[in-house]
Amino acid sequence: MEQLISQIPQQIVNGITLGSVYALLALGYSMVYGVLRMLNFAHGDVFMVGAFTGWGVLMLFAKGGQVAMPLLVLAAMVLGAIGATALLGAGIERFAYRPLRGGSRLVTLISALGVSIILQNAAMILTAGRAKTIPTELLIPQDMVIRFAGATISATRLAMVVVSVITMALLDAVVLKTRFGRAMRATSQDSEAAEYMGVNTSMVIAITFVLGSSLAGLAGVMIGLYYTQVDYMIGFSAGMKAFTAAVLGGIGSFRGAAAGGLLLGLAESFGVLIAPPVYKDAIVFAVLILTLILRPSGLYGKPSASRA
Amino acid sequence: MLRNSRPKVSVTLCGILAALLVLLVGTAALSAKSLPPIKIGAAGPYTGDVSKIGLDGLNAIKMAVEEANAAGGINGRMIEIVEADDAADPAKAIIVAEMLAMDRNVIGVVGPMNSATAQAALPTYQRAGLPIISQSATYPQLTEMGYDIMFRICPRDDAQGPASAEFITEVLQAKTIYIIDDKTTYGQGLADQVEPGLKAAGVQVLRGQIDIADRDFSPILTRVRAAEPDLVYLGLANPAQAASLIKQAAGLGLDVTFMGGDGLKEKDQLIDGAGGLAEGMYVTSIGKDIREVPEAQAFIEKFEARYGAMSVFGGQSYEAAHILIDAARRAAADPMAINRSNVREAISKTTGYEGILGFPISFDAKGDVVGASIFVYQVQDGEFVPVAEYAATVPGN
Repeated sequence: MEQLISQIPQQIVNGITLGSVYALLALGYSMVYGVLRMLNFAHGDVFMVGAFTGWGVLMLFAKGGQVAMPLLVLAAMVLGAIGATALLGAGIERFAYRPLRGGSRLVTLISALGVSIILQNAAMILTAGRAKTIPTELLIPQDMVIRFAGATISATRLAMVVVSVITMALLDAVVLKTRFGRAMRATSQDSEAAEYMGVNTSMVIAITFVLGSSLAGLAGVMIGLYYTQVDYMIGFSAGMKAFTAAVLGGIGSFRGAAAGGLLLGLAESFGVLIAPPVYKDAIVFAVLILTLILRPSGLYGKPSASRA
Repeated sequence: MLRNSRPKVSVTLCGILAALLVLLVGTAALSAKSLPPIKIGAAGPYTGDVSKIGLDGLNAIKMAVEEANAAGGINGRMIEIVEADDAADPAKAIIVAEMLAMDRNVIGVVGPMNSATAQAALPTYQRAGLPIISQSATYPQLTEMGYDIMFRICPRDDAQGPASAEFITEVLQAKTIYIIDDKTTYGQGLADQVEPGLKAAGVQVLRGQIDIADRDFSPILTRVRAAEPDLVYLGLANPAQAASLIKQAAGLGLDVTFMGGDGLKEKDQLIDGAGGLAEGMYVTSIGKDIREVPEAQAFIEKFEARYGAMSVFGGQSYEAAHILIDAARRAAADPMAINRSNVREAISKTTGYEGILGFPISFDAKGDVVGASIFVYQVQDGEFVPVAEYAATVPGN
């Protein structure tokens, strides 16, 4: 029991770290659902591509087991991953979803699953299915830690949470304060009406995809540094968790996605206090099932008759 | 008409017979010069998480076959390798075993390399009467199930486990041990073999599990940290996963000694992968590091010139391939009479084979290797340095 209590501060830190990644991913899920009313099941695999891009950029600069300017390389990794995933997101929207728009929702869902399978298999073939180790020690020493109230917070975790919070604050400002944000909210509320008011919904949808995918790319780099390795399968469980976080927060709601991600991360970490750690993914899906039974519209979602 | 056609038929018949005769004589003359090739299977993980180990094994088998072919193959028949990639997945291991079993020219198999794949594929090999020599499947039960086609040149985990426990209790004198395994046949199996020896010595043992596909180890490591163990034993099959776990442990401020089994003794994935944090860690090994065996130097040099740094089971794979080829040469005087059954017989009679592993290899009645040792290595300055040796005695033998 005493041992259990002593783990609580650390599990809070673990939960917040994971939650910040889930939140970024859930945002992408929710944004796309908002404007298109579709579940983008390829989102997790876009995230995986982001993680691999980050690894690739680092390998480019890591010559002879050294990196000249770690912070610059870190920035290059983030920018590279965001660039790659933004392009990928735009491509997926243009070729896999746009031609099917207006058709049944099931059709786009199946197309999304198809994209997911293609990305996963392409990554598997390119890497021969082998995990790639990320030499994180070249960027941020693994044992650079702060000890606080019985918890250990590594520099990597701190950076993840700070970057995630800044990104979400920026996104919040974009959605609430800019012209594009207004167009996006309008499209999300009623795309037909928005079109009548002169909103170029096609453009809004494309930009939303690019934005959502960029967030996944950023999350990919972060998780790579946290896990210290990447493999072609990481997108699957990450995608499922992001979906759960989005549902928990109320799919389509931005702040809901952020809150859902954080809550899910904490639920996972506290769950393993009691249950064996090997059940950590099962805990996430238990949360999903409970949400769907008890509050299907999520924390921030409003039950809406017109979208039923 | 009818009467006229008869002589024509007999002429045609004569022609065909003559042609056949020429053909027969021709092939007979031809076969004296080049006999049809003979095949050996190479089953292992050539894709997937542990493919580094698999591909090094495959390359070593290729080198053994090249050398044997240069020396006349198997009594004049050239050897071909049939690559059977099981991706360390038991389901795939059965499929590739069926593939090897169906090809009647395959007279023996080197592999499977993993305990789980060997366990799954054994019934298939047994049904086909196809002898296999595993270089690295250490799960004890594999040779206890009555399959007469199973041979292995590695000592079993019920030798490795007790040796590890003895080292932990007597040399390291640890009092509290946390064992983490990955739920695989090998990882969990080895952990199960380490535990009794620790408990018998009065050591407090705590256990936890992860999944071989896990990437986030904070949940288990947070528990480990709260338990404040003297040593963490890793029953893991994937050295890259172990390296990642060690790095994440540092991120949690967990300062503890790690120890693992033979599957982790992998310089580039474990030591280099952990970026200096594996320093001081212990691993057991199911064979002497062949870098210390004089007879192995030529092989290592040739291998590394062609394929780069060799991982742990390269030497074992090379040895297993040579033992199989050596047995096939002894199997029958007539090269065309070599088959699975007489090759199996010849393998079982292997006694004192002097190869590159540093000890003469013989098999006991179960197909287990005799005379092997378990070695303990420590990571010092980025290298594995031997610190202890134990005779691999299997209980009940």
